[in-house]
This record gives sequence, structure tokens and C-alpha cells, in this order.
Amino acid sequence: MLKAPHRKVSLVLMAIAAFYLYLAFQLPSFMNSIIDSDTLPKVLGVLLIVLSLILFFMPDNETPEQKEKRNIPKSDAFMLIGTFLLILVYIFFLEILGFILVSMLFIFICSLFLGYKKHVTNAIVAVLFPVSLYLIFTQLLGISLPSGILPI
Amino acid sequence: MGNFDGILSGLQLALSIEGILFVLLGVMAGTFIGMMPGLGPISAIAIMIPLTYSMDPTIALVLMAGVYYGAVFGGSTSSILLNAPGIAGTVATSFDGYPMAQKGQAGKALAIAAIASFTGGTVSVVLLMLFAPLLSSVAIVFGPPEYFALMILGLTAISSLSDGSTVKALIAAVVGIMAVTIGIDSQTGTARFTFNNPNLLEGIDFLVVALGLFALAEICNLIINRKDKIKGNENIGSLKLSKSDYKEMAGPMTRQSFLGFILGVLPGAGATIASFIGYITEKKIAKNPEEWGKGAVKGIAAPETANNAATSGAFVPLLSLGIPGSGTTAVLLGALLVLDVQPGPLLITDRPELFWGVIISMYVGNIFLLVLNLPLIPYIAKVLAIPRPLLISLVIMFSMIGVYSISFNTFDLYMLLAFGVLGYFMRLFSFPAAPLILAFILGGMMENSFRQSMTIANNDLSIFFTRPIAVSLLGVALLAFVVPLWQAVRSRRKSKMSS
Amino acid sequence: MKYIKLAAFGLISAVTLSACGSGSEESSGEGGGDWEPEQSIEMVAPSGAGGGWDTTARMAAEGFETEGILDEGMGVVNKEGGGGSVGWSYIQGKSGNPHHLFVASPPLLLIPLNGQSDVGYEDFTPLANMISDYGAFAVRDDAEWEDLNELFEDMKDDPEGITVIGESSPGSMDHMQFVKIAAAAGVDPKSVKYVSAQDGSTMTNLLNGNADVYSTGVTETIEQVRAGEIRVLGITAEERMSGDVIEDFPTAVEQGIDATFVNWRGFFGPPDMTEAQVAFYEEKFQELNDSEFWADTREKYGWEEAYMNSEEYSDFLEEESASMQELLDDVGLYNQE
Repeated sequence: MLKAPHRKVSLVLMAIAAFYLYLAFQLPSFMNSIIDSDTLPKVLGVLLIVLSLILFFMPDNETPEQKEKRNIPKSDAFMLIGTFLLILVYIFFLEILGFILVSMLFIFICSLFLGYKKHVTNAIVAVLFPVSLYLIFTQLLGISLPSGILPI
Repeated sequence: MGNFDGILSGLQLALSIEGILFVLLGVMAGTFIGMMPGLGPISAIAIMIPLTYSMDPTIALVLMAGVYYGAVFGGSTSSILLNAPGIAGTVATSFDGYPMAQKGQAGKALAIAAIASFTGGTVSVVLLMLFAPLLSSVAIVFGPPEYFALMILGLTAISSLSDGSTVKALIAAVVGIMAVTIGIDSQTGTARFTFNNPNLLEGIDFLVVALGLFALAEICNLIINRKDKIKGNENIGSLKLSKSDYKEMAGPMTRQSFLGFILGVLPGAGATIASFIGYITEKKIAKNPEEWGKGAVKGIAAPETANNAATSGAFVPLLSLGIPGSGTTAVLLGALLVLDVQPGPLLITDRPELFWGVIISMYVGNIFLLVLNLPLIPYIAKVLAIPRPLLISLVIMFSMIGVYSISFNTFDLYMLLAFGVLGYFMRLFSFPAAPLILAFILGGMMENSFRQSMTIANNDLSIFFTRPIAVSLLGVALLAFVVPLWQAVRSRRKSKMSS
Repeated sequence: MKYIKLAAFGLISAVTLSACGSGSEESSGEGGGDWEPEQSIEMVAPSGAGGGWDTTARMAAEGFETEGILDEGMGVVNKEGGGGSVGWSYIQGKSGNPHHLFVASPPLLLIPLNGQSDVGYEDFTPLANMISDYGAFAVRDDAEWEDLNELFEDMKDDPEGITVIGESSPGSMDHMQFVKIAAAAGVDPKSVKYVSAQDGSTMTNLLNGNADVYSTGVTETIEQVRAGEIRVLGITAEERMSGDVIEDFPTAVEQGIDATFVNWRGFFGPPDMTEAQVAFYEEKFQELNDSEFWADTREKYGWEEAYMNSEEYSDFLEEESASMQELLDDVGLYNQE
């Protein structure tokens, strides 16, 4: 019974709705308004539970094509997770190492990771793009990006 | 008579060498900045302000106006090519623009966007010229109850934005409104769902949600399909539109020029809402709604006409009332104050040359935009020829820097990544992303205007039913909700009978 | 405020002369400070581009450059979020590093008192206040009230019938400046019906009758007053301001209501700055304040001069904070955490 994917999704949504409702009930109330800051959140929480229930008891009407989308081969899943981790590392080091350096490394490593074999082109792009973008933002547009450890 | 002299002196200014030079500079800078990730009209104008300090006020306004509509014009490029809407006003453009570009018709998609933008921009300037003083009174009748009704009307579009299950579309919309409740509540100052994190107090930025749900989720798709086209997509297709394409675009472009303009006039509505409402209304009356979302010509023409028309519309309250209707026009107003120009009811009599000069320069600017952009399309579209792995890395970096240049805060980047993951899972389980983003845009304003109305009316609900505009908008919303339902019931009955 | 202006005027020539005279190698020599910045200075505007904080910060940075007051450059960075609290926590994290400054105004007092920020003014080093601005209360031209007292009388009788609109959220500036004056006139602070409209629709809603009173800054009202659409019933300044149109705005004080509200704007540094560092900035801001560039800037934006050095500023802030706390308590928005 729980095997149908839309039922699992429905349960996850109900859990989210319950958590959201719990937080909504913690909101302090402000004396002189009937429609308070917690009114809409409470309505939304209840609405999401109701909709999730409908979803739960609905027949599964996904097309085979839509189902096929969830069949991700292991190698692709590995790629997705790898890219995800690379992005995390990128964000973490952005303000520490600076925009130029971290973007260079990111473009080169990420492209390589995704199977790009022309290393020279890759290196040229990885250097050229961040540098020109940095110059456009800082010099032309007056928006400062983190310069990091490079002595700019 | 006075008006005529004013128009003449405006004409003189707009068509002077200086006037033409600066409108050219403005639209070029605007298009360029609009194409940059994350930079929209607001930043484009803010960037230009220091340049204008010592300029003649009319020329300065000509330049900044050019930057403004130039940025809206250029904003569609990344929506179409990369599914990465750089500004809120071009999210709806990606619904059909991106699929069309993926079919190998990137050139055509960009050309449609350019022509539609040009039409919306030009027609609305005519409207601006003819009706600016008259329409200023329309801008003013809209109060909180009317906005609430308008938002409700907008939200009825949710079902038409889904491609399958209505329940899933509604769930997406509820989650969208939930996301917008995060942050400080503007009516009471209560912090909602912020987990004591100061980064969440201001709420989640629109761009974080849009780039996450659209660009990053699409990246996941590209990663999985990276082997198909490791060499990239060489074919951008022809730029040439056929006669039937033009025929198809004519209807939406005419209607949305007017509708977009009117929505632009309303303070607070602006280009974003105009583009969504443009997309939805055209889809509702289209003969082939099932083709929408897969690269329909009208699906690009409608929002692009509407958002550019709305941009001119936004000048009505600014120039004729001195009321900034949006964040962008507020920055513009600030820039004008520095130049000793006080926009307001007296502007048209005090400074007719400025009022008309700017309006006339908009015609010139729109022509420049079209003439400059059409020949560039083949080169811009070459982006798609970049090999997939490289393109993926670049788009990720672009999205990151787009979000970062708004808040200068890495917290928003983690949020962007989270919305990317959410967007991908929504795709896996066939939840549409469009209702979520629509609800995110409209939800905040809906709650606010409802509560403002309630405070004004001392919690008397009749305020929504005693005002003609509010009640008619709510009536239309009810129709928009009931009619499809009735049609569905009828067609089901028919199919039952025939079986 | 007037006498400060006069004194400053006299100083201008002297200071600019000395500024020109002192060579770059010993520019910090005579000020009594023995500290100088070692890198370019980051000026944080805790808001997005285009607002009051942003404008003040950018104009100051430009002033420092065009007048050649600072040897090291100054870059303006926007740290938007939480009504300022994101920028404030950022600067707090720079404790002891005097190369990061920020611009502030009354929300720095109000937002922490509302419980919306964990850091407040006492967590920072006040360097100098530069300018002040005042609030104005406007009504439609055809409104029944001729002055503030008539308005407040009606408010006492029927608080539900009068809607006050402003840009900021409840408990922040537009709300509190109105409450402060109204309370002094005997209106129950809790009964004020305040609507916040943060989408730029405040003036529209005054004009179309959805709101009755608009609480805002003085400059925001000028154009509509000139056009005869609205009237300003009172401003929150001590005495009348100078300038076309503005000089006709009556103060609350002259209408017998003994209350004022100053929208001050000045600059702060991170916690734990040394005396020499404070002295350095004090001197530089004083120099900026006395410069011709800054005088032009003030005139351009309709700001009043209100220079305070670090010590005067601290005392002033302490007083203001106490009075704001009392007021927020009366409205029921004071949030102790």
C-alpha cells in the first residue's frame, strides 16, 4: 500500500505540514488585529495536510514516461551527488579563497568530473571566464566580489 | 496648445545628437546588464546613478530609462537559453522559450522574444503618450482590497500552469506561499519561521527560488543527459519567422501590449505579474493549450510583450504622480531627486521638455533595441554550442554569482542549492514548478493586502464586496475558477456517454 | 542645531586649509591619534541599493575621495537583510578590526528593542553622527483636520476611524515617530491604527482615501504639497526647517505638543576599537562634515547638519534608546529577550 511513490510523497508532505503548523502555533500574537501573523500559516498548514490526504487516496495517474524519470542509473546518481558536493565546496570557499580562484578551480574540476576531456580548452575557459566576469563586475559595474587571497 | 509645445521641445531633445547618443548608450548598457546573471533593472539603474550626477536631467533620465527597459529586454536571454531567469519578469518566458531552444530553435525563440519586446515596448509608449495624465487616476484607485482581488485572480491561474495533476499543482502553490511566509511579517513585525537565523529575517529572495527551481533543477537533467550531447548543440535554427508565426504572435502581442501596460501602471504590480498574467490569459484563450510549455510561439510572445509594456506603464505613476510603483522606479525616483527633478503632478507643466523628451526617447530606444539585438542573436545563441560539461559548470557559476551579487551572503547560496534539490525532486515526482513560483510571487502581496484591508475596514469583510473594482475582479476570478471546472464535468459526461 | 551650523561654517576654511596643507605622509600626525588604516576601508550599508543608508554611505565614500580626506580608499558594500540586522551581525563579527564601518539611523535602536535583532547599538563603537532628518504627518488636502490637535482630538474619540499609513513595519520608524508625537498629545499609543505598506503604495493609499494620515519623511511630502494634493499637519523637528515649501510646515512643538523625533544618521565601527582608532575616524568624519562637498550633498538631499563626535553620540544614543524603549513598551511591542 505504501509502495506507490505518490503515497510516500504524501506522507513526507504531511510531516512537513505538521512541522510547519507546530511552528505556526508558536508564533506570538499581536493584540489589536484579528487576522494576525499566524492566521495565514495555520490556513496553509491545514490546506497542505488536506491536499496531501487527497494525494494519498488518489489513484496513481502517472504516465510510464514520468515513472521512468525516477530510474536513475547508479553512475548518473553518482554524478549528481558529486556535482552537488562540488557546489557545496564552491560556496564554502567562495569568501575564503576569493571569487576568481575558487571559480577557476570549480569550472576546471567540475567539467573534468562530468567527462570533459579537452584539458587545454577547459583550462583556458576556467581562467578566462572568472577573470573577465570579475573585471566586468568590479570595474565596469562597481559591484565588489570577494577578492580573497589573491593580491588584487 | 501647451502640450503641443512641450511635445515639440521634447522631440527636439530626444532627437538631438546627445539625446540619441545617450539612449543608445542606455539601451546597450541595459541589455548587457540584463543578460548578466542576477542583475536586473534595479541594479542596472543603481549602477548608472553616479554617471548621471553632472548631467542634464532630461538626458540623465533618458539614459536611465533606456537602461531600465533595456535590462528588461535583455533579461529574457538567459531564460530562453539556459532556463535561468535572471530577473523575475522573465520567469514566464522560460516556460516556452527554453523548450523551444532545446528543440534546436534557439534563434527563433530569441527572435520572437525580441520582436514581442519591441512591440510591447513601442505600443505601450504610444499609450503612455496618449493616456499618461488620464491613467494616473486609475493608478490611484487601487488600494489594498483591489490588490487582494487582483492577486486572487492571479492565483486562479495555478491550475492552468499544471501539466497533469491539479492536486500536485495546488500542493506546489501552497508550498510556494509557505516559503514566502518566512521572514519578518510586515504587518506586525513578528519573525516567522526564521529559526533565529538573521539571514532569514528578510525572507527568501525571489531569485534564489527562481534560479534554484529552474536553472539548477535543469542542470540535474543536463547532467543525466550529458552523454547525448557531450559536444553541445550546434544547431540554433533559423532566425527567420514564417508568416504563420507572425500571424500567431499578432493576437497575443496586441492584447498583452494593453494588458501589460495597464498592470504596469498599477503601483506594485509591475512587469513580473504582467508577464505571468499575460502568459496565463493567452494560454486560457489559446486553441492549443496542450502545446504550451513545449515551445509554443505564443508562450514566448505573450509574457515578453507584457513585461516590456509594463515597464512603460510604470512610468505613468512615476512621471505624472511622483509615486514610485515598484522598487525599480523608486530607485529611479531617488536618482531624479538628486538631479533636482521632482516628478509629480506638476512635472508635465513645469518641465514639459523632460516629460515628453523621455517618452519620445523611448521610441528611439526600442528601435535601437530591436536593430541591435536581432543581428546579435546568432552569436548569443552560440552559448548552446558549448560542450555540455563545460556549459554545466559555467551555468552553475553564473547562478551562484547572480545570487551572490544581490545579497553578498553565502547563506543565500546554500538556499539556492536547497531549492535546486527541491526543484529536481519536484521534477522526479511530477510536481510542476511554475505554480510554486507564481504563488511565491503573489502570495506575499495577497496576504499583505488582505490584512491591510482588514485593518482599514476594522475587520469588516464587506470591504471586498462594496468596492466596484474589487468585486468585479473577484467575480472574474470566480469565473476563471468555475468555468474550467464546468467544462471538465461536461467533457467527462460526454466521454462517458460516447463510451 | 543652528549654532552647530554656524560654528561649522567658521571652521570650514580653517580645516580645509589644514587638510590641504598636511602632506600625505603625516596626515594623522596632528589629530592626536597615532593609528592609521592599513588597508582600504569597507563601508557597509545594511540595506539594498538606493535607500537612505545606501545613499548616505555612498555619498560619504565619494566625499572622502573627492576631498582627498582618506589616503586609503573606501568601498561601499550592501549587506541587506532583517531590516539591518544581517549587516550588523556581519560588523559584529569584525570585532577589533577597525577597517569595517557601517551607517546607521534610528532602526539600530528600534529593531533590537522589537526583538528582531540580537545586536544593538551598544554592541558597536559610535564614531560620528553626521546628519538629521525629520518626520512629517500628511493628510489629504480636503481632510477635515486643520492641525495636529484637531487630528489627535478625533483620534481620542474614535481611534478606529483613522488609519495611519507608513512605509516601515510596526514598531519601526514611521510608526514610532507618529506614536511619539500622538502620545505626547494624550492619544493612547496602543489605539493608533497603523498600516504598513512596504511596496511603495503609501502615498497612493493616502490620496485614494484608504489611509487618512501618512507618516513619512519631510522630503517625501514636498511635491504633493506643492501640487495641492496633500497638507502637512506637523513635522517632528524642534523648530521650523528652512527651504522652499518646507518652511511652511508647522512643527508639533509650536502646536503645543512637546515632543520631537529625530531621524539621525551617522557612522559606527565594530566593537573593541582603541581610542586612537576612534580619534582617527572622528577627525576624518569631522573633516568630511566641514567640507564643501558634504554641504552640497546635504542641500541636495534636504538633510540638516547634525555632527556629533563619538562621546556626544554615545550619550545621545543612550538617551534615545531609553525613550524608544518606553514608547515601544507603551505600544506593546517592546520585546525583551
